[in-house]
Amino acid sequence: MDNFFKKHDLKLKTIALIFMLVIPFFLYTAARHGSIFQVKLFLALMIGTMLLVLKKD
Amino acid sequence: MTDVFIVKWIFALSPILTVLVLMIFRNWSGSRAGAAGWFVSLIIATLIFGAHPELIAYSQMKGVLLSLNVLYIIWAALFLYHVVNETGAIRAIGIGIQRFSGDKSIQILIFGWIFASFLQGVAGYGVPIAVVAPLLVALGFSPVVSVAVPAIGHSWSVTFGSMGASFQALMAVSGLESSYLAPWSATLLGIATFLCGIFAVYVYDGWKMVKHSLMAILIIGTVMAGTQYILSVSGMWTLGGFGASLAGLCSGLAVAKLKIYNQTPPSHAQPEMGLWWALTAYFILIVVVSSGVMIPSVKAFLGQVKLSFTFPEIISLKGWVTGAGKGKAINIFGHGGALLLYSSIISFCVYRSKGFYKPQAIKTILQKTVKSGVPTSLGIVSMVCFAMIMDHCQMIYILAEGVSKIFGSIYPLVAPWIGLLGAFMTGSNTNSNVVFGVLQQETAHLAGLSAALILAAQTTGGALGSMIAPAKILVGCSTVGLAGKEGPVLKTTLRYGLLITGIIGIITALVSFII
Repeated sequence: MDNFFKKHDLKLKTIALIFMLVIPFFLYTAARHGSIFQVKLFLALMIGTMLLVLKKD
Repeated sequence: MTDVFIVKWIFALSPILTVLVLMIFRNWSGSRAGAAGWFVSLIIATLIFGAHPELIAYSQMKGVLLSLNVLYIIWAALFLYHVVNETGAIRAIGIGIQRFSGDKSIQILIFGWIFASFLQGVAGYGVPIAVVAPLLVALGFSPVVSVAVPAIGHSWSVTFGSMGASFQALMAVSGLESSYLAPWSATLLGIATFLCGIFAVYVYDGWKMVKHSLMAILIIGTVMAGTQYILSVSGMWTLGGFGASLAGLCSGLAVAKLKIYNQTPPSHAQPEMGLWWALTAYFILIVVVSSGVMIPSVKAFLGQVKLSFTFPEIISLKGWVTGAGKGKAINIFGHGGALLLYSSIISFCVYRSKGFYKPQAIKTILQKTVKSGVPTSLGIVSMVCFAMIMDHCQMIYILAEGVSKIFGSIYPLVAPWIGLLGAFMTGSNTNSNVVFGVLQQETAHLAGLSAALILAAQTTGGALGSMIAPAKILVGCSTVGLAGKEGPVLKTTLRYGLLITGIIGIITALVSFII
């Protein structure tokens, strides 16, 4: 698992960055439509992305 | 218990404290520490300050809009730097300068003060120290001096350097216009210009060398500080650091021809690329940015498409109200980042048509841009996003209230130190402005002080923090064989960084009493 993270470090970071920039747009749309379930779902995705960023370099 | 002010204040401070502790004591990168700060702010905001999913959703969207404004410039600046560097132009500029003077003090000033600032103007993110340190070693300076000199020398140009990314961040988080923020920011950074020049020379050979180079420092410093002021207050703040250092280069090369600085014969090394060709990309940049900013018809044409979102009034479960309004708009084709991108593409085509690139150069340029841009961007997005959560839950207001209660009227003395601390902990003036910009603005408001002056002190402190940021010192040391021996360099830069910040604090306090 560690080898996988080391090997694909830059790719994973790039994916995390794209997610961090895109998820808030979905969060905004869901909040505008008053869909609390979707807001919570995208917040969970955001938390997952932050956990990926938190992973040791 | 959480109703007691000091307890609330400590909880509000915890995300910032988390970032500080992890970066300084645990050596975490900005992106990891930013993510940890995001988690702490999310938990504290939800449990203590009444955040709810909808509030977090809107705060994250605002955070991303602010981040995109900054990232647009950062990515385009990195792309331009690699487009130029891949041709060998940066090395050619270095050799070109070396041929002008054999005087050690002039070499220190031209490389460590002006050329390092020029590199900050066009790239930043540790590039000035990484490029200049080996050049100074090649000229016969000790490795410690070679890293410390550009670290000190370039700091004044950080805010308006990197195409104004740090200043853009300051405007984004404070919601204030450049016309309001630029005059005081350029003034305090202008004073720092002279101080950085003086201490860059002092590090090499003490007051004797400062006395010898005083005339050069005064002439070049006036040119650079003056140019930076004019460019930033006239709306061309994206070119503030770059234009100032380019004017500084011209004046520096002229000063090098003065009799007192022309006693030692200069180098006769020949660059592979002519100096004018090496500078072509930057001339293109000046033309493109000037046209995009100063010609009204071009500005209006490019400013037609804007990405903008409206936000409703947001009320936390504890009753803190964030007013309805529009988030930070992104001017897709007229943004500073877009102008940089146009310059990069034109420069690439020019250099390519002249055969300056190896095959597959574009792939290398893109790879290098992504490699250096991604970690920086992760740190910025995570920090901006947690700063927005804090802002929407009264946490920043509580922090500011506490600081203004403690320091009151002497707060201006403290303001640059907060900026310095932010840059030290995050390795970036931009991040410092993002994390502490709103706090400083709120504190200035509560203490009845000029927000423009306090935010100027914040960004000046943040810029000066670049000389003591371990992340940047590490990069510089690795290029001159000092990896693992960063202590002496950090000790040197820390001494002068704290001294210059102290002087800026005193000046800010004096000015705040007058205005």
